[in-house]
Amino acid sequence: MKTNIWTQIFLVTEDLLNKISTSKYNPLYYHGALPQFIMYILFLSGLLLFAYYVPTIDNAYFSKNLVNAYTSVAYITNDIPFGAVIRAVHRYAGDAMVVAILIHMVRVWFTDRYRQYRWVQWESGIVLLLMVLFIGQTGYYLIWDERSLLLTRMTVSALEVVPVIGEPLRNWFLNGRTISNLTLSNFLFIHIGLSFSLLFALWIHYVRMSRPVITPPPALNYILMTIIFAVVYFFPITATKIADLNSQPTSMDIDVFFLLPYAVLGALGTTGFWISMILITAALCLIPYPFTNKKPVESAEVVDSKCTGCSFCFKDCPFQAIEMVPAPAGSRFKLLATVKPYRCSGCGVCVGACAFDAIDLPNLLDSDVNEKIKQLANSQSA
Amino acid sequence: MTDQKTVITLLCERAADVDGICDKAGNCTTVDGLKVVKLPCSGMVQPLMIEGAFKAGASGVIVTGCQIGDCYYREGNRMIRERLLGERTPGLKKTVERRRVLALWLSRLQRGKFEAEAKEFVAYIKGLEPLAAAPAAAPKPAPAAKPAAPAVAPSEDKKEDAKAAIESKPTAETTPADADKAAEAKVDAATTSGDKPAEEKKAEESKAEEKKD
Repeated sequence: MKTNIWTQIFLVTEDLLNKISTSKYNPLYYHGALPQFIMYILFLSGLLLFAYYVPTIDNAYFSKNLVNAYTSVAYITNDIPFGAVIRAVHRYAGDAMVVAILIHMVRVWFTDRYRQYRWVQWESGIVLLLMVLFIGQTGYYLIWDERSLLLTRMTVSALEVVPVIGEPLRNWFLNGRTISNLTLSNFLFIHIGLSFSLLFALWIHYVRMSRPVITPPPALNYILMTIIFAVVYFFPITATKIADLNSQPTSMDIDVFFLLPYAVLGALGTTGFWISMILITAALCLIPYPFTNKKPVESAEVVDSKCTGCSFCFKDCPFQAIEMVPAPAGSRFKLLATVKPYRCSGCGVCVGACAFDAIDLPNLLDSDVNEKIKQLANSQSA
Repeated sequence: MTDQKTVITLLCERAADVDGICDKAGNCTTVDGLKVVKLPCSGMVQPLMIEGAFKAGASGVIVTGCQIGDCYYREGNRMIRERLLGERTPGLKKTVERRRVLALWLSRLQRGKFEAEAKEFVAYIKGLEPLAAAPAAAPKPAPAAKPAAPAVAPSEDKKEDAKAAIESKPTAETTPADADKAAEAKVDAATTSGDKPAEEKKAEESKAEEKKD
């Protein structure tokens, strides 16, 4: 077994973290669970913001001086107790989510845990990443400051050049032909609706894994919350200028976590933007399909005559590759284990789970292992 | 009597890197009497393999997997850990002396730690009296040492991350497998007493006694 330099990077880092935090609390052993925990932070803080947010560009709640999205955000920030904290938590937890997802992605990539029997997880992960990035962008539209206006106009310009469906896309995005009161309610719908759709995509992300690790230990959650609150305290969100439909803002601060696509759009123009986005997405999706020949997995095989249908292997398989089917007629047992070869990783956990020698890895029979053990045990040591 | 000092290591090929200290056949060159069998994942270790090793004359078994939390195949090391602790079926038979089984959870870079722990374990095993050849022919237990140290890992340090001392838990639920095998295996007084719930005190005591000898 050789390890490459990329795996080595993570091995060294994890060894270091193990010395600091022990393996039980090593954050890199919960790289997949942390984004999920951050998602719950975002759901909760988002719910609190939703209670006071007004998704219009004008003419709402005059009596309370809440006339549009921007002033309602200002009301949350300035008048609601701890409103500014909740808003900042929502913002920075979003940034943290992108960071956590990228760490998750790079780790599974570098440690070679993304292809073959794991391709569903990789591809659904790409979809999840794109969803999270888009949700984050719509969050920036919702504030309705000058940047939101510029972002909206840039998005419209990018959507309009899409052949054939360009105009319907723009009309869907703006909820009409131009920016109107209905536009922001559509943004809010996309923001929240897609957020809950994450749960559906996560289901697909987990569907081939038994017992996915989705809960980090509480200690890590507290540390993460502490970090987020520290960032909130030291970098409070600064006030921005309200969007004015008659103005033409031309520049903005680029948030590196969510708004990089707009930097690309600004630099390359609409055509260049779409080409680069499609190329990047396609490249990410193709990563699990290497064009060099990798050794295929030799999946485990059940010895039908020995299988008693006890389903231990079915319970223990980490990739849900074993299915219990009714035993053929004439069998003494009710069930028979069968392997789905396309899901099998060839790890041999099922061999360890079988007390009847009824399942084998074709390239390493457990009879051979036992033979080797016997031989080594008998050989006299020098 | 055959050589009693052989210790078999069932090693995950992604855990501690032993290529530098082992020859092709699996003999460890730096630790005397240590043999290594490589598996794709420690999860592939069957309790039957450990029993087989003792039956074939090995006097100790080390199971080595990756750090708990970092299995390439997701859960292999957790699985074998739970099997050894008696929390997951199929588990080790009661006839297996728990103190002769050591589990180490080491990442690929921890070869040094593997060597040190293995050396200590081999020395510890050498200090034990020889195993009876086969469980079926087990003679009366020697009084002092046998009601023994539930798998006290040889070293004193209590770090749980690198190794799990295997407690001898009475496995309450008998698996169908165990039921089958139980018929042929005589569970004698010695082994049952070895399976009493682990009491640290007792363990310490019996260990101290061993040291006196």
